[in-house]
Amino acid sequence: MYKGREGQWAFMLHRLSGIAILAYLLIHVFSIGSFIFGERFYMAIHETYDWPVFRIGLVFITAGVVYHAFNGLRIIVMDFTGAGVAYQRQMWYAVMVLTVISGLYAAWTLLPRLLGGY
Amino acid sequence: MIRARTFIDAKQQSHSNAELNWWIFMRISGLILVFLVLGHIYMTFIQVSESDATFTAVVGKLANPAWKFYDWLILALALMHGTNGARYSIEDYIRTRPNRAWVKGVFYTVVALVFAFGTIGLFSI
Repeated sequence: MYKGREGQWAFMLHRLSGIAILAYLLIHVFSIGSFIFGERFYMAIHETYDWPVFRIGLVFITAGVVYHAFNGLRIIVMDFTGAGVAYQRQMWYAVMVLTVISGLYAAWTLLPRLLGGY
Repeated sequence: MIRARTFIDAKQQSHSNAELNWWIFMRISGLILVFLVLGHIYMTFIQVSESDATFTAVVGKLANPAWKFYDWLILALALMHGTNGARYSIEDYIRTRPNRAWVKGVFYTVVALVFAFGTIGLFSI
């Protein structure tokens, strides 16, 4: 792998998170949209999503979206200001901090529901 | 004025730069999606539990035209943004022309079907 340091990691993670979010979105539209086939069809899919694996997966989707959103803002700042390019490394660490904090926050709100089963 | 007889002529004579337009689109749609998608995740995952998203709850929520519009805006913008992003990846990592052609063909078809399905679903209630 090309070792372009933070800039390269930011780029790789942006692509990976983008593809993961797109894959999630396509499945999400199908499973939520499946209500047009009636309640039984919808609930059959939805009860599968109630399994802990999928619920924990949502925490990673949240973190992925937060990363993609804030790194996207970092890209916009880089594209339109010179200072953005000069401080891209520092901004990337800020994005990572926000991603970790929101991932932990999502996990923290999920935990009681996961243990309580609701 | 464009006097093209073939697709290649049309491409050579067109003044607009599609790639530049997509570049601008990615920035603008991204900026809008930051609010729409983070808001959606907050309202539907952080505030409420997975088990609250029952059939009745989803149908009841989507009966409201405001939510219909909100969700359709996410659907349209996110699919266009995501499809264009995936196109960048396909063009970067898939090396041969025929492979790029069929991967794009299959991928665009899937996206179009999902978009049609989501739109029909939203506006059928």
